[in-house]
Amino acid sequence: MNSNVWILTFSDAISIATTLILATLGAILTERSGVINLGVEGILLMGAVTAFLVGDGTGNLWLALFLSVLVGVAMATIHATLTITLRANQIVAGLALVIFGNGLSQFIGKPVEGKSRPVTIEPMNLGALSDIPVLGPILFGHDIFTYLTWVGALVCSLYLNRTRPGLVLRATGDAPATVDAQGVSVSMVRFVHTILGGALMGLAGGWFMLARGTAWSQAATTNGIGWIALALVVFAAWRPLRAIAGAVLFGFTLQVPFTLQGQQINILPPEIVQMLPYVATLFVLVMLSTPRARRLLGAPKMLGQPFVRDER
Amino acid sequence: MIIGNVRIELEARLSTPKWLYAAVPALSLLFAFVVGGVFLALTGHSPIGTLWLLIERGYASTKGITNTLGSATPLICTGLAAAFAFRMNLFNIGQEGQMYLGMIGSAWAGIVLAGALPGFAAVPMVLLFGALSGALWVLLPAVLRAKLGTSEIVSSLLLNYVALNLVNYFIFGSRGIFRDPSTSFPQGRLIEESARLSSFGTTRTYPTVLIAVALAIGLYWFMKRSNYGYETSVFADSPNTARYAGMSSTKLTLSVLLFSGALAGLAGSMYVVGPAGKVDPGLLQIGLGYAGIVVAALARYNFVAVILTAILFAGLREGGASLQISSNPVPISIAVVLQGSVLLFALGGEVFRRNRLRIRRVQQVSVAS
Amino acid sequence: MGSHRSGGAALFALSARQITKRFPGVLANDRVDFDLLPGEVHTLLGENGAGKSTLASVLCGLYKPDEGAVLRNGTQVRLTSPRHGLQNGIAMVHQHFRLVDRFTVAENVVLGHRKLPFLLRANDLEDQVAQVAERFGLPLDPRAVVGELSAGQRQRVEIVKALYHGAEILLLDEPTALLAPPEVEKLFETVRAMTQAGKSVVFVSHKLGEVVDISDRVTVMRDGHVTGSVARGEADTRKLAELMVGRDIDLSPRRSRGVAQERLLSLSNVGLTKDGVDRISRVSFDVRAGEIVGVAGVSGNGQRELAEIIAGLISPTSGEVTINGERVNGVGTRNVRKAGLAYVPEDRLGTGLAPSLSIVDNLVLTRDRGFLVDRKSAHAEAELFIKQLEIKTPNALTATRKLSGGNSQKVLLAREIFAAGVNARVLVVCSPTRGLDVGAVEAVHKLLDEARNAGKAILLISEDLDEVLTLADKILVLYRGSVVHEAVGDQVDVEAVGLAMAGLS
Repeated sequence: MNSNVWILTFSDAISIATTLILATLGAILTERSGVINLGVEGILLMGAVTAFLVGDGTGNLWLALFLSVLVGVAMATIHATLTITLRANQIVAGLALVIFGNGLSQFIGKPVEGKSRPVTIEPMNLGALSDIPVLGPILFGHDIFTYLTWVGALVCSLYLNRTRPGLVLRATGDAPATVDAQGVSVSMVRFVHTILGGALMGLAGGWFMLARGTAWSQAATTNGIGWIALALVVFAAWRPLRAIAGAVLFGFTLQVPFTLQGQQINILPPEIVQMLPYVATLFVLVMLSTPRARRLLGAPKMLGQPFVRDER
Repeated sequence: MIIGNVRIELEARLSTPKWLYAAVPALSLLFAFVVGGVFLALTGHSPIGTLWLLIERGYASTKGITNTLGSATPLICTGLAAAFAFRMNLFNIGQEGQMYLGMIGSAWAGIVLAGALPGFAAVPMVLLFGALSGALWVLLPAVLRAKLGTSEIVSSLLLNYVALNLVNYFIFGSRGIFRDPSTSFPQGRLIEESARLSSFGTTRTYPTVLIAVALAIGLYWFMKRSNYGYETSVFADSPNTARYAGMSSTKLTLSVLLFSGALAGLAGSMYVVGPAGKVDPGLLQIGLGYAGIVVAALARYNFVAVILTAILFAGLREGGASLQISSNPVPISIAVVLQGSVLLFALGGEVFRRNRLRIRRVQQVSVAS
Repeated sequence: MGSHRSGGAALFALSARQITKRFPGVLANDRVDFDLLPGEVHTLLGENGAGKSTLASVLCGLYKPDEGAVLRNGTQVRLTSPRHGLQNGIAMVHQHFRLVDRFTVAENVVLGHRKLPFLLRANDLEDQVAQVAERFGLPLDPRAVVGELSAGQRQRVEIVKALYHGAEILLLDEPTALLAPPEVEKLFETVRAMTQAGKSVVFVSHKLGEVVDISDRVTVMRDGHVTGSVARGEADTRKLAELMVGRDIDLSPRRSRGVAQERLLSLSNVGLTKDGVDRISRVSFDVRAGEIVGVAGVSGNGQRELAEIIAGLISPTSGEVTINGERVNGVGTRNVRKAGLAYVPEDRLGTGLAPSLSIVDNLVLTRDRGFLVDRKSAHAEAELFIKQLEIKTPNALTATRKLSGGNSQKVLLAREIFAAGVNARVLVVCSPTRGLDVGAVEAVHKLLDEARNAGKAILLISEDLDEVLTLADKILVLYRGSVVHEAVGDQVDVEAVGLAMAGLS
């Protein structure tokens, strides 16, 4: 068997993981505040199409990515307004966002459908590091966002566990009434983190388009990565650092079918291999279902619950 | 919210005026058309002309309305599936996968069993197998939820992707029973002729639409009047009260989720006995399962209203699809934009149905310390 | 009392002047005055619904008064939020703790503190918290996870939290409700330590007996008014009771008029072990037709488990429960009801009743329903109850959560006493008057008395000792899951009962 192919597979897995980590971090921040945003897929699509259109129009990579972030913010603001201010059902609002983003990205992307990628995020040149055998190409052949994303996960983790706003954020997801009694606005904490989460999801979509996408086509672009991110949140037990490991694992299972196909290896049909990450997540979900695991690792207690101050 | 010296508050309504029940959906639709119109205008289409054409081709012509009813048929089922579970605060969002399984199960029955059955029994048998397969696909999330309290949201969602790959595997990956053996082109094997229904005349409306409508009305009556409907409403409102009264939360949770899965599976069956006649990966592109949730939410989980919202949604889709064929073609995705916007506005509008805005002057508060 | 207002207001750490607070349909506080000296323990005494919690909530900034003013050290302050109250050194410890279960003690204590650095160092915070706790004699492990602490320990976390945030005045809302007697003693020690450090404490309580000793002053409220204020030494239980209830309270108990007859409910050697702990151990007693047996005890000593065992909601791990001579353990709550049990749980709205469902649908709850639900006869029944029991509601289709506590309790009692039919001769009632106003309490007691006279066997489980003393023909004291004391209704030695509740018999 050609070992280069496997090196490439691992490298691709880590690359795909970038978008998964970004989206998952976004979802973790959102969910830690007690808001569940199922609209990830819609936001990713909007981020991707925005990056493509802006890149196509201006040729400016950074502007393209910046605007995908802004679009992510806008989408998350819709979600936040509906669910936090107007107290709509979070599940339904998230799904509406998926449908809306799905339709709108397809609609505004129609003129550029099939066109090839206008600008590209290039891999970094890390010199000698990339020449290390095996590890070099796997770990050091990526673009700057991949590395920034790892740092981002670390920052997120520190933010959650070691900072004052992180403490408030965790408390808001678990016991909003307590936070409210301390004079901190629950709505504000939730708004800020839902929007921050949306920004990361928007970037995830934009990056995916410009680093890994070839041509814009709605059906093929994100291909369910948004939903995987939601599964990854559970897989990572709402912990940012674990999201990296989960994302790489998922990235690998997303990539392996192609490698196997390319190598004419037929141990498992590609469709079955593609099921594996979902089955693995289900397995983790079951493992996390014991009462003790749930108390220590489980979802924020008030996830999905609107907060209403109880004043007689 | 405080702006200047005016405070704007939401205040719960004690009673809701009747007209608001109609006004909120109507205004949502109107606002959605405005949003759609803006995007149409931005892309160089006439907003009013295009939307008018959409309405005409979606609802106001014989061909339009019959096409719409045809595609509304499975959507009513997924809508009922979502409404049935969401009413109980069980967020089954796996209708998509359950529907695929319904398609697979029905096709299996249509290929393997139907030949051996008398003609009148073939279609019911195919529908039954679809429903059972859909229920089977929600079994794991249902058991996890009922026995361990694991959220059904993520687990039912994950299974959508497993189901999607399963369909792809049967058609593209394997040469099994579901694959048409007569050609190397990957496509589904047709089920027995006796297990298929023909459409009304030259339309694309199938008799299954009558089954879907009857189901909706029957469910409405059943859940309103029956002991089972009563127990689910107690459980949905207050699980502790249900336990106090000796109702089994495990049984209720399991049965509601399984029945929801069966309804979604039935959507797949109706696709098989009607237009498709086989396992058809084309179903994977339409998103009827997710749309079902939207349809149910728009209907505020009322089973009879699901019929109307499903027709509304299907009409937007059919009308949108027809816009691709014109001198200045409009992408079909405009329909999806409209669908998403309607729901977003309806969700926002719901608040104004339950609450009213109170605008009050507040005195400036001086803070002494 | 009137002299307080003319005297130098600056003397007082905290004062309320003519506070009025209305809630829809209720005048909770009507021109209330209240004064608190520095270093003082001041008790706000009153029945449930007297308005004392409302006043405390106004004083800490949770509620904004409709009229009147709050003065801190003689200066008027307009408190806009609890946080603002805290900035003025005022903190309240609520009956329902506001803690994050998954956080450590230290995380809970420091949460929301203004001066917290951006980057948190767990060790530093834990040390700080430990210091504060130690200074006031509150033993706490700052690293412990709050979700795994007892009610008493959680209360300590709340108090440490208030002190950490700089509280000079601490308002404690029913602080002894969830505590076992030794913990109450510890709490009192802490309170003394705080007053010695110059802090003031307001106790909000409806328990006459226990607060008198610790208080420097007791202010009594009734129906939203202050009815009197008594300094230490002048406090006499009888006088306070009078101020609380507004008349010579009818201490004359309601007792069974007939002779108790056949045993309808009997427990023999009932035990429950959960997670290796004995929740209930070897409990035996009988309840006969036409009598009320009262179970007294501090909350959390097995009352809930006992009720749920009898109601068939949990199975005992040992022993036997019989109703009407029929062995019922392990048969499930529906069959227990068939055997003749009616059950009024402590949590009315949310266990006994489905809050969003109508009165009619709630009456259907315990019926044999068959395949289709017959709402017609339930509707007629509802109309009848509304009329007979004077339930205040727009109509029979109103959701029960829209009713007041007293009215929803009437619906629940009506269903369990009358709608359950003649067959249900055993009635288990838990804390039936918790949170009700005086009028409703009387109505509920009357209903229970009537049910007894109609020949029902009633088990009354209540944390309100006075309620048990007033109604019961026989009294049992539950402590740590065991019956530690028994007395016949008219020969009760109240002191002995109190000691037994404290586990000291």
